[in-house]
Amino acid sequence: MADAAAVTAAVDAPRRRLASAAVYLRTMLVFVLLWWALAAWTANPALLPTPRAVAEALVELIGDREVFMHAGISLGRMLIALVVACALAVPLGLLMGTSPLLDAIIDPTVEMLRPISGIAWIPLALFIFGIGNALPLFIMTYAAFFPILLGTIAGVRQVDRRLVDAARTMGVPQRTILTRVVVPAALPALLVALRLGVASAWTAVVAAELIGAPSGLGYAVEWYRELLMTPQVMVFIGVIGLLGYACDRAVREVAARYTPWAAETRAMA
Amino acid sequence: MSAQASAVPDDIKLRLVNAGKRFGGSAGTQTIAVRDFTLDVRRGEFLVIVGPSGCGKTTVLNLLAGLERATEGSVTIDGRPIDAPGPDRGVMFQDYALFPWQTVWGNVGFGLAHGPAGAGLDAAARERRVRDCVELVGLAGAEAKYPHQLSGGMRQRVALARLMANEPDVLLMDEPLAALDAQTRMIMQDELLRIWGQDRPAAQRRTVVFITHAIDEAVFLADRVAVMTTHPGRLKAVVDIPLSRPRGDATRGHPQFQALSQHIWSLIRDEAQRAAVT
Amino acid sequence: MATSNPRTPLPSRIVMAAIDMSVSGDLPLGIATSLGRVFAGFAFAAAIAVPLGLAMGAARAVERNVDPLIETFRPIAAIAILPLAILWLGTGTAAAVLIVAYAAFFPIVVNTLAGAKRIPPTLLRAAATMGLSRFTTIRTIIVPGALPAIGVGLRIGMGVAWTAIVAAELAVGAKAGGGGSGGIGQMMFIFYAYSIELNRIIVCMIAVGLVALLLDRGIRTGMRLLMPWGVA
Repeated sequence: MADAAAVTAAVDAPRRRLASAAVYLRTMLVFVLLWWALAAWTANPALLPTPRAVAEALVELIGDREVFMHAGISLGRMLIALVVACALAVPLGLLMGTSPLLDAIIDPTVEMLRPISGIAWIPLALFIFGIGNALPLFIMTYAAFFPILLGTIAGVRQVDRRLVDAARTMGVPQRTILTRVVVPAALPALLVALRLGVASAWTAVVAAELIGAPSGLGYAVEWYRELLMTPQVMVFIGVIGLLGYACDRAVREVAARYTPWAAETRAMA
Repeated sequence: MSAQASAVPDDIKLRLVNAGKRFGGSAGTQTIAVRDFTLDVRRGEFLVIVGPSGCGKTTVLNLLAGLERATEGSVTIDGRPIDAPGPDRGVMFQDYALFPWQTVWGNVGFGLAHGPAGAGLDAAARERRVRDCVELVGLAGAEAKYPHQLSGGMRQRVALARLMANEPDVLLMDEPLAALDAQTRMIMQDELLRIWGQDRPAAQRRTVVFITHAIDEAVFLADRVAVMTTHPGRLKAVVDIPLSRPRGDATRGHPQFQALSQHIWSLIRDEAQRAAVT
Repeated sequence: MATSNPRTPLPSRIVMAAIDMSVSGDLPLGIATSLGRVFAGFAFAAAIAVPLGLAMGAARAVERNVDPLIETFRPIAAIAILPLAILWLGTGTAAAVLIVAYAAFFPIVVNTLAGAKRIPPTLLRAAATMGLSRFTTIRTIIVPGALPAIGVGLRIGMGVAWTAIVAAELAVGAKAGGGGSGGIGQMMFIFYAYSIELNRIIVCMIAVGLVALLLDRGIRTGMRLLMPWGVA
C-alpha cells in the first residue's frame, strides 16, 4: 500500500515541478511587462532603464567577466567568514549547550553584543582595519557568528534526552555520547543555524563592501551608481540576490543529503 | 526489613527495599514520586508493574535502570547496589529512542560498537550478533532502512533488537507498546513473549520488568503483576498470574484471564478515579 | 602609554561621552530621527505585508501567483537596494523609509503566510460545519490563529528594519560626505571620518544595541496584550 502511494508521488513530482515553474515564469513575465510599461512611460533611462537595457548590460558585464570577478571576490570573502565563524561558534555553542555553568558565564556577554548588529560595527572596524579586505571579512564573520552560535546552542538543547539516556543504558562513555549522539542529533538544527548565518553574512557583505571595500559586488553597485549607469546597478543587485538564493539552496541541499531523517530538513524544503 | 545487600537469596535478581525518590529543592517544594517501595524481582520472571497515570511507575523503572538514584532505601541487582546505567540492564523506552541518523543495522549494533558490551568481540563476532538479533525480531531484510522509514511496530522491534544485542541480564521496558494501535499491540505482545523465550525452559529466560497501564496486557504477559498506588507511588499488592505458558490467543479468552483482570482492576479502580480528577 | 592619548576608548571616557551627547541633545535627536524613519517604514511594510500574507494563506491562487515575486526579491537585502533608492529619491528621509519598508516587508509577509497556513485544518472544518462565511472565518479564526506567527514576523521585521536604517544612514553618511539627513547611523560615520571620536562611536553602538532590545521587548509586550489567551 505504501508503495503505490510512493509510485504516484514519484510520477506526480516532475509534473508538479513543471507546473510550479510555469507559474513562476508567468508571474515574472507579468512583472517584466509592467516594468517595461513603466519604463516607457517615465522615459528616463537613468531613473528606470528598460528591461532590455538591463539585459544588454548583463550580457556586457558577463562578457568582460566583471560580474564573475566581483562575485568571486564577495563569495570568497563570505566563505572565509563562514569558516571562521563556524570554527568559533560551533565548538562554543556545543560547550555552552551542554554545560549550564559555561552557559551562565558566557551568556550575558553574548546577550549584550547580540543586538549590536554587524553593521553598527562598521565605523569602529573602519577605524581599526581601514578600507580593504579585512573590513568586510570582520563584519561578515561577526554577522555570521551570532546566528550560528545561538542556533548551535538551541540545537544541542533540543536533543531528545531519551537518546542520551538510551546510550547511557548501553554503557557508552560520556565523551562518546557527545560525539556520537549529541552532535548527530543536533546536526539538523546546526544546518538551520548555518543557513541563517549564511543569510546574515551575505547581507553584511553588501553593506561592508558598499562602505569600505575596493572590490566586490557591493562596491560594484556603488561604483555604477555614482556613474549613474543604472542598468549596471540593477544587474549587480540581481546578481547579489541570485547568489544569496544559491548559497541558501546549497545549504538546504547539504541538509537534505546528510540529514534526510530530520523534520527540520523536510520543513526547509 | 533491613537492607542487607550481600545476603540476598539466590533466586532474586533485583531488589528494591523501602526505595523512595524525591524531586525538587527545599523541603517545601519537593515532589515525592515514589515512597517506601519494596519489591523483589525473581530471576527469569516476567514482572509487570501497573498503576494509574502519574503513579511513579516510570520512576521505579528509572531507579532500576540507574538513570535515577534513590533518595531513600536501596536498589540492588544480584546484591550489588545500582547507581549508574549499564548494558546489564537494557532499557526500552516508550518512544523507542532510536538514533534517527543510524540505519536499523547501525542502531542495533550501537551498543556493541561504542559500549562495554562489545569489548572482547571482534568485528565478525559483532556482525554476527547484530544479524542474529535482527533476525530474532523478524526484521531481516530491513537492515538498511532508517527509523523514519519504518512503521511504529517495526521501530519497536528495532529497539528490542538493540536491547538484545547487548545481551542484558535484565530487560526494563517502559510502556513499549503504548504508541501502537490495538491490533499491532496484540501481535507485538505475542512477539515479545516469543523473543523473551516463553517457549523455552524457564532457566533460559531473562528477567523482565515491564510497565504498562493496560491491565489486560499485564495479565497476558506477566508471571506476577505489581499494582501501584498513586501520589506518591507505593506498592499496593502483588498478584500471581498462574496462567500456563506458552500463552496465546486462547489465553485471552480464558475465564481465569478475565477473573484476574477484574481482580486487578478492582485494586486499581479508586486510584485511577482519583488520578483522573486531580 | 595607551591611556595618555585622550582618544583611546576607556569605560570612563565612554560614559562621559554618553552623558555629553545626551545632554547636548545630539544622541536623543539622532535616535529619534532614526526611530521615526523606522516606524514609518515599518508601518508601511506591515500595512501591506500582513493583509497580503493572510490573503495568500487563505487563497492558494493568490499564494501561487505572488510567491515567485517574493521569493525572487527576498534574497536581495535592503542594503543592496539602497543605491537604487538614492538614485530615485535622493539621500533624504524618503529613501531611508523606502529601505526600511523593503527590509521589514519580507519577514512579515513570510511569517504571516506561515501562520495562516498553519491553522489546523480541523478548526477550519469546524467553522465550515458551523456555516461561517469566508470573511467571518478569516476574521474570527485565521487572524487570531495566525497572531503568534504574525508577532514573530513583526519582531523579526522590526529588528531587520532597525539594522537597515543604521546601515542606510551609515552608507549615506559615507557617500554624502557628512552633509545629509542625520540619524544615528550618520552620526557614527561622522565620528569616524571627521572627528575620529572612538568613544562616541562606541556610545552610538551601545545605543543601537539598546534600542534594538527595547524595540524587541516592545513588540513582544504588544503581542502579549493582543493575545491574552496565551500561546498553546
